[in-house]
Amino acid sequence: MAGLKEDPVLGIDGITIKEELKIVKPEIDKLRGDHPVLETVGEVIKGESLINNRSVIDKVREEGSCGQGERDMVPLTSNSIHRSGSRPQLDLSKAAIEGTFEERDPTILLPNQSDDISHLALDIGGSLIKLVYFSRHQDRLTNDKRKKTVKERFGISNGNRRSYPILGGRLHFVKFETSKINECLDFISSKQLHCGGMDSHCWHSETSPNGNALIKATGGGAYKFADLFKERLGISLDKEDEMDCLVAGANFLLKAIRHEAFTHMEGQKEFVQIDQNDLFPYLLVNIGSGVSMIKVDGDGKFERVSGTNVGGGTYWGLGRLLTKCKSFDELLELSQRGDNRTIDMLVGDIYGGMDYNKIGLSATTIASSFGKAISEKKELADYRPEDISLSLLRMISYNIGQISYLNALRFGLKRIFFGGFFIRGHAYTMDTISFAVHFWSKGEAQAMFLRHEGFLGALGAFMSYEKHGLDDLMVHQLVERFPMGAPYTGGKIHGPPLGNLNEKISWMEKFVQKGTEITAPVPMAPPGTTGLGGFEVPSSKGGTLRSDASALNVGVLHLEPTLEVFPLLADPKMYEPNTIDLSDHNELEYWFTVLSEHLSDLVDKAVASEGGTEDAKRRGDAFAHAFSAHLARLMEEPAAYGKLGLANLLELREECLREFQFVDVYRSIKQRENEASLAVLPDLLAELDSMTEETRLLTLIEGALAANIFDWGSRACVELYHKGTIIEIYRMSRNKMQRPWQVDDFDVFKERMLGPGDKKPRPHKRALLFVDNSGADVVLGMLPLARELLRRGTEVVLVANSLPALNDVTAMELPDIVAEAAKHCDILRKAAEAGGLLVDAMINTSDGSKENSSSVPLMVVENGCGSPCIDLRQVSSELAAAAKDADLIILEGMGRALHTNFNARFKCEALKLAMVKNQRLAEKLIKGNIYDCVCRYEPVS
Amino acid sequence: MEHNREFEIDGNSNPIQISRLALDIGGSLIKLVYFSRNSGDDEDPPKDKVGVSNGVNGRLHFAKFETAKINDCLEFISANKLFLGGGFQHQENCTNDRRFIKATGGGAYKFSELFKEKLDISLEKEDEMDCLVMGANFLLKAANQEAFTYLNGQKEFVQIDHNDLYPYLLVNIGSGVSMIKVDGDGKYERVSGTSVGGGTFWGLGKLLTKCQSFDELLELSHQGNNRAIDTLVGDIYGGMDYSKVGLSSTTIASSFGKAISDNKELEDYKPEDISRSLLRMISNNIGQISYLNALRFGLKRIFFGGFFIRGHSYTMDTIAVAVHFWSKGEAKAMFLRHEGFLGALGAFMSYESPSLDNLVVNQMVPLPVNASLVTDTNSDTLKGDLNGTESIQCSIYRA
Repeated sequence: MAGLKEDPVLGIDGITIKEELKIVKPEIDKLRGDHPVLETVGEVIKGESLINNRSVIDKVREEGSCGQGERDMVPLTSNSIHRSGSRPQLDLSKAAIEGTFEERDPTILLPNQSDDISHLALDIGGSLIKLVYFSRHQDRLTNDKRKKTVKERFGISNGNRRSYPILGGRLHFVKFETSKINECLDFISSKQLHCGGMDSHCWHSETSPNGNALIKATGGGAYKFADLFKERLGISLDKEDEMDCLVAGANFLLKAIRHEAFTHMEGQKEFVQIDQNDLFPYLLVNIGSGVSMIKVDGDGKFERVSGTNVGGGTYWGLGRLLTKCKSFDELLELSQRGDNRTIDMLVGDIYGGMDYNKIGLSATTIASSFGKAISEKKELADYRPEDISLSLLRMISYNIGQISYLNALRFGLKRIFFGGFFIRGHAYTMDTISFAVHFWSKGEAQAMFLRHEGFLGALGAFMSYEKHGLDDLMVHQLVERFPMGAPYTGGKIHGPPLGNLNEKISWMEKFVQKGTEITAPVPMAPPGTTGLGGFEVPSSKGGTLRSDASALNVGVLHLEPTLEVFPLLADPKMYEPNTIDLSDHNELEYWFTVLSEHLSDLVDKAVASEGGTEDAKRRGDAFAHAFSAHLARLMEEPAAYGKLGLANLLELREECLREFQFVDVYRSIKQRENEASLAVLPDLLAELDSMTEETRLLTLIEGALAANIFDWGSRACVELYHKGTIIEIYRMSRNKMQRPWQVDDFDVFKERMLGPGDKKPRPHKRALLFVDNSGADVVLGMLPLARELLRRGTEVVLVANSLPALNDVTAMELPDIVAEAAKHCDILRKAAEAGGLLVDAMINTSDGSKENSSSVPLMVVENGCGSPCIDLRQVSSELAAAAKDADLIILEGMGRALHTNFNARFKCEALKLAMVKNQRLAEKLIKGNIYDCVCRYEPVS
Repeated sequence: MEHNREFEIDGNSNPIQISRLALDIGGSLIKLVYFSRNSGDDEDPPKDKVGVSNGVNGRLHFAKFETAKINDCLEFISANKLFLGGGFQHQENCTNDRRFIKATGGGAYKFSELFKEKLDISLEKEDEMDCLVMGANFLLKAANQEAFTYLNGQKEFVQIDHNDLYPYLLVNIGSGVSMIKVDGDGKYERVSGTSVGGGTFWGLGKLLTKCQSFDELLELSHQGNNRAIDTLVGDIYGGMDYSKVGLSSTTIASSFGKAISDNKELEDYKPEDISRSLLRMISNNIGQISYLNALRFGLKRIFFGGFFIRGHSYTMDTIAVAVHFWSKGEAKAMFLRHEGFLGALGAFMSYESPSLDNLVVNQMVPLPVNASLVTDTNSDTLKGDLNGTESIQCSIYRA
């Protein structure tokens, strides 16, 4: 929290919001009593002004009868809007039709539609209750013409639903203390998690003979609290075996999440990518109250080979007796400041400060835990609780590490994964366990930890539902996102995951007012889409490190079944998208500074993009705070959200904007620049056509590089904007293109295109052009390049973002741009027609002679992301399909060619074009300067 | 850890000729082994030693003090003039300016100044492991009924074939725990250990119960019930066994786990129960780690020694149960009657001359002593707790 404390805005100490929320609760309870129907929409009521009162009314009506029926799986069309209240899935308040009315199938945005289908599984342990629940989210309802055409062309079945056994949706992770089980029951009740999930497409409606809903549960408490659940919620707990669940959960995580496992030595986390084919056998050590050690040989194949009764319960139990701490976390926190030498007998204490070298024990090795408590004439009260806690922690962690190692050794297991709640992402705990494993194995074995430690059982219980489909889920179909609350949760227990946007904003505002001491414990308002693990903000005391500072935050797992691995990656297993690894702290600090400085400008634009209303301003402020908090959290613990690269950070910003419903911050800027660029395009094309083929190719590449200067993501370029018009800047920029560029493979590329002699080389069959910015970049840079390829008989697929990010052009916007450009250019027009881009457009230019067959097609596909960078392990199915026949890839712009993929190798030829608009990056990557250019051509190796 | 009453009495009343002393100064306890020549050499020489005439018959005595009360120990040595026998072989050596005593244990370093100052004795430090192993090898080979198993309250002495003794695992439970793989005389390796040992039991126990001594704490555990504090499998599974993985409802799932959820303070728990939980936790843990190490090196036998055990039946029982449980009955924990004195004995044997080969235990049984030196020696050693402090009748032969 240190980072947050220093933040002048966020770092206000003060009253906790906890109190405030408590005031609200009785009111809600009262409301519930009076109007039972309101209970289902508890998330809307928060004693706060509502964005839109109508939305509440709508919601109450819509959700009044809880969805027992079959949910509509068909992509929503306008028809379904008019369905009667008996199928009340959609919250249509504030629904808006996006796009122009000319479009036949406009996108419908449903900003207030919350999770419509849920499913829940529980792990009720001795100390904590863990919940995993699934919420189905309608895909973004883009059903545009372009998509249909693309699907037909590439043979992607329209029935995605059928071809993918898994539904798109989100997995949320939440935890509660078992002693506060009522909070958990309230949470389930208020979110209606227990009566959701009756989706026959996904799960069979599972009901017990007496008609009660069945919820999968594991952990000892599934037996103990069965009656309570029945009584309070009318649900029957369907008990699943604990070990089965643990193993199923761990196997799922290790296979489905790319960097789930990490090592932790001396405070350093290192994420480990585990080859799925080389996962088994491994030892799974689950440290709950007690410790289980399980040898896992495969899915469903495992054996509990060992365990120990000295576990988390021992730490907490003994700790509580010895220190009077009120919570496990408090005890852990104490250990942070402890010195175990006052209580433990060290080798040095016995050997008068000398090492016992002969057997390799250093003077600081603990000879006897609590051994000093013997000989001194001290009472319990004479020892510092901090020291006691640390001694205890070391004793138990070392012991677990040692026994685990011995068992791994016994069965010849290479890997030991430690999970369970004892660890809690606590750095010192992980370090001591790692140390023990390292020490006893003489460095041959390494302890590994799991980011979702603690949720293994609950996840496994979730997997035990028939037909959950998660088994088939692949790494590339999961995206983990960190919603607004993530920085505050620290991977800890419960809290009020917030429902709608208004609640998020309110929370942010309160946070700013009240400071960091927010430990809102009970989810009064149930979560909508955020699925925060909760909101417990540990108090930050003085200069001490927060004990859970290194705790990893668990995000929401978005299941996106349509994502695929880009098929042209030469070696997908070795592929690492990020060029800049932010585990280097200097690098991290630099980019954080860049992003922070950029923030106010971004907020201004965001607010303006939404009409500058009061509402937009509130959202803008909330966004700024939320994003700053993310940054602060990541500065504090760069590994908090998993392996962190620059691309992740840039995407986080975009996601954060979307979370506060800034749909497209640069919308108007993009439009303006597109128009201005399109206006000068004919002149440029004429200029190009007057050139010889060779000159033209050079000019085109120069043009693409020059046009790449128009980039709102670059601070340096934003300053340029104030100095000239688009075309002026473009011309100036192009004229300055002095070869050789800093990275200059143009001659090799030219030879490939034009040949060394008179004999023309075979043209490419299909080129994928990954475009970057709107405006001049795409219109004056990439379109002319695409046109040249088309002219040479190469099919061109423009690959653009699915969602807006900065001023990057999106796949939604491109068809209009192409249509406009096509008005002035036959080559583009015919190709666009052939590619199905112009079907809807008014085709009354020229003579209308249809020569479709004579032209190779120009197509547009979406890339599946909403970030200025691209991770080619997770791209849209249409891009994957389009890639199949491609033999040339052109990556353009910093985000896609430098920040990511600079080092990527492909199965086909690749051209990476970018102007480096950042001095630091220029120095680091190409040993050059700002505005230097990269033209890297990589033939098929 | 008072030294045995009888020693004081004997030392003061009966001027036996003290011949030799060795010390093991541990973190919590000081162990003494000393040899006394039989007052009259008229005792019948053991049958199997007939014909050996140049031996010195006598007794090995064992005594212990708390390290915290080291001054008592110094007084004891001084009062009994134990240090006089430093140069046993050549009696004239005791008049040497430089008097030395073999000593081992960490305290041999730490307190060497004190010994010098108070008694004018130099401690000659012997390696701790060397001593432990030497002591154990000696006892296992020389003493007849040294090793025994303990299960369900039943002691059973084990006859160990001298030719089939090695390799074995020696687990010495002092303040901490050392696990030593012994392959032969002087051939051994410390393969493992744990910091959760006797010191932990006593240290935590002292903090939690305010007991004034280790023995008091042990005594308490007799009357305790660990169910009050430990989370049992049955507590989690609503009284049911977790049979799938072979855990019965009475298996401890989490030591001290119940101290979590109850709204009880330390004062609300009975010290007896705390002591019992602590003892089970530590014994069980040591048993488990020992078994895993034995398994790792393919060792058939595990001998547990060191002061934590103290012949305490419940301790032995839990260790034995742990080994039995984890080995699924294939391995057995064994204990040594002279557990606790291994180091001191080893130090004693490390005097250069006579070599240890010359220390022969007559009949290899602690004699039922009629000379009244040791009162607690009982001809029926199966009765009562063993405390290993009975003396051993033996002969030392000149080289």
